[in-house]
Amino acid sequence: MPERALTDVRVVDISEGIAGPYATKLLADAGASVTKVEPPGGDFARRLGPFPGHTPDPERSGLFLLLNTSKRSVTLDVSVASGQVVLKKMLANADVFVTSERPSTLRAWGLSYDGLRMEFPELVFAQVTPFGATGPYAEYAGNSLTAMAMSSIMYNTGEPEREPLSTGGEPGAYLGGVQLWAGILAALANRARNGGGDHVDVAMCDAAAAADEYNAAMYAFQGAVRRRYYSRHIFGYPQDIVECADGHVVMIPGAGGFPTPLNKDTISPMALLLEDVDLNAHPLFMSPGERMIRWREFDELARPYLSTHGADEIVQTAQALRMPFAYVPYASDLLDDAHLAEREFFAGVEHPHAGTLKLPVAPFKMSETPLAPLSAAPALGEANAEVLSQLGYSQDELGVLSDRGVI
Amino acid sequence: MSDQRPLDGVRVIDLTHVFAGPTCTRILADLGADVIRFEAPMRIDVTRNLIITDNDGDGEPWHYASYFIIRNANKREMMLDMSKPEGIDVFKKLVAGSDVVAESFTPRVMEHWGLGYRDLAQVKPDLIMISLSGYGQYGPNRDMGAYGMGLEPASGLSSITGYAGGPPVRSGLSFTDPYSGFIGAGAVLTALHYRRRTGKGQYIDLSEQEAAIPIVGAALIEQQMNGENTPRRGNRSDWSAPQGCYPCAGADRWAVISCGNDAEFAAMARTMGHGEWASDERYATVLARFEHHDELDAAISQWTSQRDMYDVMHALQAAGVKAAAVLDGSDVLRDPHFAARKRFDVIDQEPVGRRPVQRHLAARFTRFETAPRRPSPLLGEHNEEVLREIGYNDEQIAQLAADGIIDTKPRLPVPGQLIAMALKLPYERYVEAGILQRIDADYREQLGIAGADATPAP
Repeated sequence: MPERALTDVRVVDISEGIAGPYATKLLADAGASVTKVEPPGGDFARRLGPFPGHTPDPERSGLFLLLNTSKRSVTLDVSVASGQVVLKKMLANADVFVTSERPSTLRAWGLSYDGLRMEFPELVFAQVTPFGATGPYAEYAGNSLTAMAMSSIMYNTGEPEREPLSTGGEPGAYLGGVQLWAGILAALANRARNGGGDHVDVAMCDAAAAADEYNAAMYAFQGAVRRRYYSRHIFGYPQDIVECADGHVVMIPGAGGFPTPLNKDTISPMALLLEDVDLNAHPLFMSPGERMIRWREFDELARPYLSTHGADEIVQTAQALRMPFAYVPYASDLLDDAHLAEREFFAGVEHPHAGTLKLPVAPFKMSETPLAPLSAAPALGEANAEVLSQLGYSQDELGVLSDRGVI
Repeated sequence: MSDQRPLDGVRVIDLTHVFAGPTCTRILADLGADVIRFEAPMRIDVTRNLIITDNDGDGEPWHYASYFIIRNANKREMMLDMSKPEGIDVFKKLVAGSDVVAESFTPRVMEHWGLGYRDLAQVKPDLIMISLSGYGQYGPNRDMGAYGMGLEPASGLSSITGYAGGPPVRSGLSFTDPYSGFIGAGAVLTALHYRRRTGKGQYIDLSEQEAAIPIVGAALIEQQMNGENTPRRGNRSDWSAPQGCYPCAGADRWAVISCGNDAEFAAMARTMGHGEWASDERYATVLARFEHHDELDAAISQWTSQRDMYDVMHALQAAGVKAAAVLDGSDVLRDPHFAARKRFDVIDQEPVGRRPVQRHLAARFTRFETAPRRPSPLLGEHNEEVLREIGYNDEQIAQLAADGIIDTKPRLPVPGQLIAMALKLPYERYVEAGILQRIDADYREQLGIAGADATPAP
């Protein structure tokens, strides 16, 4: 079996939901040993689904199964003193501690960074919350939607006469998770080079705002405030999703799609695609700025072709003309996609309760140290006995902890 | 807080351009890496021309582009003609003393130049190299042309973004670009960790389409478990009701609200002066709230539309309810929370002046700072400095300049004025069309960055 990159990294993870668990999944799939510490009722993601037949079952939540591959699960009530004692024994053997709790909760549990750093000076303490560990909104509650609202991205997504629209799929949480993952790796690098653990503090709203393309920059450099306009890039039209005979495609003529002053006598790829060479001399073909303003007129020029051709033909013809058109796949299309199949992007992971599911292997490929699920997500508390006996607890003590509802 | 950073002593050769790659290397730079960007006299980063500030393309417009500046602060730069053997020679000498190479060309370009991973590993055996591309380095779609605005739909994200019953929607940015940049930085940090332990380098193939697919993970599982594609449903959620974006006082002002359970809903109802909603059978349970969501939205909007978006946020948060103001590009620069968390650093950017630029690494640390140590580089600003560091003497450097192998001015096929004219209309026209909300002439006063310009470029 090939070596993995992070086999020397030990993680204790009390986070729930998406952001923290996605960060530790990326570590776990790269070989880190991740012990997921769940409250006795389980990570709340176990209650979110999707579920087979829409019937809730904590062992068959699709979201949980996706986010917790390659981890082992221990149940532990860290809100009570006996649970905190067990947790600290686990932290004594850990490099990274991950939490998604707000600062006041951690203080109440005696698990804040300032306390733990005294006991565990080499520990990387990683925290991801909706608004971060510091700042005036640190105690505020939130989710992906609040993060997207704060980012300026949402204000610029959607139709001008309707409400701003969040991107689908809980992106604020995933952005927070990815930033936490990078932050943990940076703190480990700092520990290796300069010594000492650290507090890695990620706010989901910061993570979403860090993704801003140019909304803040346009104001900081020009005083211009952008607003949503069919989610369009301000640099020209068309660069958007358009309807075709059997669905949608992304129409992107790219740098060479339209005539330019340098090549206005050559028939442009867009005129060829739309099967009307006369369009080449049309004012809307000649001026990117005018297309941006008079886009409805442009749409009328494109409609006869688009409405009579299917997505495959349009994208393939446009690509042959060197224009970077793209598909608009649904989940079902991605699961059947030949390109993703050849890249072995999905792996069948067998789960004892949920059957075999195709899960994304990794968001990138490494030539020497693969990143892919090593095992299915764990059943709730399945490693209780294993982990606690490793910490030196006897069978009797395990029984007591269990009776008291600590594990 | 120390000025030592985790990647001090790590050198990154940065051949990336536009958005995803520069985001990745900006994060590495802020973590302390010495990132040296490369542009070529015949091919400067296209974003150097995208937004041209206070400028009609005269002079040196490529030094005013905000889009470029915010992603390339904290880097050094060489302008090197790598179409010539002498250029390749300089490049390979630099790689020999570097740790990471990052590139974002179309697949095959690097190999075509003899600069694929195998070639470069001959020069530097423990090299880490990352390629960021639209669809990855192999597979049937490898050679498809790819722009960021197409990759978000290609990742499946647009299929679940949009108003209920409406068409798929792109986000108001090239979403997969920053996301892939963040992922790329983590990928390089993972490879550096492995190299610290084993001394081995490796090659990373990042497909921007694939990087973002996990965000639609729940939809992928829904499809496998129940044979259904997740529908578009505006800002609503399967998990919380009510959840939505509600109008506030003022033009185009909004706030989001989300109630995850009955207790949060009761708290919201009390805050809005409608404690009775919690026992109203239309709203008392989450299933009932899903059923009567439209009706509930109208009632919530009545309350929010009388109030400032920040007042809505703070009043609901004080009661423990998830809520946030929907900020625009100017609001984020003024928000007190972002200010306290140093979301933006003011850099002294020659020749533009002082400007706030966002951090691309959102993680904050207590042991080290991540603010940029230097502004974004001018074209070829560090040609001589870098060449000296790898042993070139004055005479050799002068020869490279005389031969046009290094340069500080682009040789563009089209004059800058023409590019500016072609790419943008006067901003007033965008305001008229509703694509821009407004232009604040006094924005620098408002942001507190007026009257302190950097000295003009020589």
